[in-house]
Amino acid sequence: MSEHYSGTHGLQHEEPLVFERAHEESVSIHLPGVEGDLPDDLTSFARREAAGIPGLSEPETVRHFVRLSQWNHGIETGFYPLGSCTMKYNPRVNETLARLPGLAQLHPDQPEHTVQGILALLYELQEWLGEIAGLPHVTLQPAAGAHGELTGLMLIRAALAAKGEGYRTKVLVPDSAHGTNPASASLCGMETVELKSGDDGRMDIDVLKAHLDDDVAALMLTNPNTAGMFESDIVEICRLVHEAGGFVYGDGANLNALVGIAKAGDMGIDCLHINVHKTFSTPHGGGGPGGGPVVVNETLAPYLPVPRIEKGDDGYRLLHDDDQSIGPVLGSIGQSGVLLRAAAYIAAFGREHLHKIAEDAVLNANYVLARLKDAYHVPFPGLCKHECLLTDEIQNRHGIKTLDIAKRLIDLGFHPMTVYFPLIVHGAMLIEPTETESKETLDAFCEAMLEIAAASEAGDTEDMHAAPLLPIRSRLDETGAARKPILVWTEEES
Amino acid sequence: MRFLPHTERDRSRMLETIGVSGMRDLFADIPADLHIEPGSLDMPDALHEAGIIRKFTQAAEQNRHAGNTRCFLGGGTYHHFVPAVVDYVIGRGEFLTAYTPYQPEISQGTLQALFEFQTMIARLLGMEVCNASMYDAATSVAEAALMARRVTRRERVVLAGSVNPRYRTVTHNYLSRISGSSVDVPCSGFATDVDAVVEAIDGETACVIVQYPDFYGSVYDLASVRAACDAAGALMVVAFSDATAFALIEAPGSLGADICVGSGQALGIPMGYGGPQLGLFACKKKHVRQMPGRVCGMTHDARDRRGFVLTLSTREQHIRREKATSNICSNQGLMCTAAAAYMSLMGDAGLATVARRSAAALSRLVSGLPDHVRAASGPRFNETVLSFADGDSRDHFLAGAEGCDIFAGIPLERIDPKAEACHLLVATTEMIEAEDIADYHAALEAVR
Repeated sequence: MSEHYSGTHGLQHEEPLVFERAHEESVSIHLPGVEGDLPDDLTSFARREAAGIPGLSEPETVRHFVRLSQWNHGIETGFYPLGSCTMKYNPRVNETLARLPGLAQLHPDQPEHTVQGILALLYELQEWLGEIAGLPHVTLQPAAGAHGELTGLMLIRAALAAKGEGYRTKVLVPDSAHGTNPASASLCGMETVELKSGDDGRMDIDVLKAHLDDDVAALMLTNPNTAGMFESDIVEICRLVHEAGGFVYGDGANLNALVGIAKAGDMGIDCLHINVHKTFSTPHGGGGPGGGPVVVNETLAPYLPVPRIEKGDDGYRLLHDDDQSIGPVLGSIGQSGVLLRAAAYIAAFGREHLHKIAEDAVLNANYVLARLKDAYHVPFPGLCKHECLLTDEIQNRHGIKTLDIAKRLIDLGFHPMTVYFPLIVHGAMLIEPTETESKETLDAFCEAMLEIAAASEAGDTEDMHAAPLLPIRSRLDETGAARKPILVWTEEES
Repeated sequence: MRFLPHTERDRSRMLETIGVSGMRDLFADIPADLHIEPGSLDMPDALHEAGIIRKFTQAAEQNRHAGNTRCFLGGGTYHHFVPAVVDYVIGRGEFLTAYTPYQPEISQGTLQALFEFQTMIARLLGMEVCNASMYDAATSVAEAALMARRVTRRERVVLAGSVNPRYRTVTHNYLSRISGSSVDVPCSGFATDVDAVVEAIDGETACVIVQYPDFYGSVYDLASVRAACDAAGALMVVAFSDATAFALIEAPGSLGADICVGSGQALGIPMGYGGPQLGLFACKKKHVRQMPGRVCGMTHDARDRRGFVLTLSTREQHIRREKATSNICSNQGLMCTAAAAYMSLMGDAGLATVARRSAAALSRLVSGLPDHVRAASGPRFNETVLSFADGDSRDHFLAGAEGCDIFAGIPLERIDPKAEACHLLVATTEMIEAEDIADYHAALEAVR
């Protein structure tokens, strides 16, 4: 690379850190507001040294961030088959809607008669989520899935305490669960007991029975589970947990397989969080913001967080106080901007099309599975739901691991699948295509996977160990990064 | 359905490849009595795009918003100016529609933006390190309390009563299900009672949490709190609501904060009726392995070129499960990118202007108050409490001001249920012009 020119690969640009681009002093920006002398009692607290925030001109700022954006892969750029993440197309109109000044420019403490429009939209979303899950009582407050889990467990603890069974603090979590499940249980002051999955990747009823006792507060269950399999014994599982005096918490991360097909409430699940950034297509934003509304049955409803949106004769209002409530879990009523996008996604499908989300999502996952099942090891054969699980068992014989396959996919033009999760199989590759991908895209992805399998079989593996070769960066030294963390930039680091 | 690319022909060819005869066969593993009739949900019919736009536009038009009013509301959320470039940057599909950057080679854009964000936030707060964000200020404060307990291996948490009541409630909520205690120290005169806070720190205390400027906008000296923490071996956690303050007043890090947490909403994020917000979390480097949440680190690739990765993940739930420092998984990544773009554009000078004008507007507002309204005494940044003779006169004024397109303040008891119903929490930003303040004064005169 030349020191003077940034173009290195066609017009793929290197881009320095914003601090390296900065001028000696900030470019001036023309701002509104009033000037005036500040009171002496305030100026005595004045900051002595400037922070060192760059201050680029507008054209420089745009170019900097646009170049950075070009180093990213997004769902708009291409296929993003991350299992358990539900990376689907994010409708552009939802971006426009969430930015309407009458929705985006609202202060959360405006008088309620000035925000009736947004309260109506959010209230309606609550009703829709409750109907889709068959669990009619809803809080929109949790800011993400893990936050929803914590909220749900708080509700369960409150309901148990009200029954005089506060001593129940054991949470049963299958070994296939997301890491957030046990972490949420700990945060809620509960102990996790891990349940070993059966040989078919599903819950082993005998293992469950062996752990059901008077200490059990809840079973946390993802259905379909993280191997992409529906827990066919779900009704029996819920019955057993209820009989033992516990609650069933549903991790709704995989709701995409069930929308409009079956309801969690009908299965016997008491409480479910819904990742609106998965099932209802709010953009993932490079890690967030998300949204994790929680839907519950009658038993848990009295304990839902405040503030709550209530509908009365004279419109909507926020209920701030309720003695039975667990209280707030966030500083606001929820991530409204995210929730509005979810409402728009649901509205676009409506009553007559919502089930098609699950149908096409499950069709796509099974299609990929059908095309790849001879070339890759399938640990749990049979139909999958919205995602399919493969392993590197066959390729491993040729020294090719899941990580190599994932990185090679990048060179072939695809974002990798989720790797090494779930933990119940060795070298997991979890593929979730979602409903918004075309057959052409799925075929191209399958061809790439088959090409990798064939190359591995042929011993043509050199490219794979070094992959990816084509992106702006090759494999990064993650071990070094963790050993000697550099989390902020200093002039010496340049 | 416009988001679903398959034709019916595609579907039947795919079903054939799978080896099943119909779509319903794909769901054969779901017991028959759990199946619901397609199209039987109790919901409205599908709307086309034009219909959705109409629905949302009509709803939006029912609301009054900061764009066509004068907004003197704060309490943790502030109406600052957001340059168009910020929204453009986060609207880029490559940032907007990316996942958490687990595959760093194809996520360098998000990662470098996060690294720049971490650096700028650390500098603004005067702290050594910063994570890649939490949900909001309230949950950041709660996580700070939990982190302090891990660092000190103590279980008692002291909160100044002048910390935003919402942050305190969420924190107590997080702490109430685990062993240990959390106590609020009462405050007086809409300011922090530093002596009482110092008094409450003992040898069992994991941390003391203060807010600076506090919930009532008061700015005060933290030296005695720092000294008391040193003497007791407790951590000092400093919370804040409006991050632009630290372009004007001394940063929490310089005042000795061990952990600094608060809201980054003021840095280029619209108020959004409560979210998406941006929780900021910074700490001293020596405590970094007890920090919750995602964090981005600088490293190099196989060809020795600088690059960035998510790091220290052995703290996190996907590795450590029940032993993780937090259950947090999603952060507010896109809001970090917004804040990074905002700060890049503003720079020290722009941020200082924002902070100075926010404070100047408050100063002008307070100095022109008629004598039937009293402002809290002592130094304030951009927020204060106005007190009226009684609730009726306050509410009468609020209604009158609203008639003049002014949201004049938040009834204090709305956020702080213990407060008497005659106070108003009032905030100003650079979006408040001289004319707005004159109209505010006129509205007060009108109800004298």
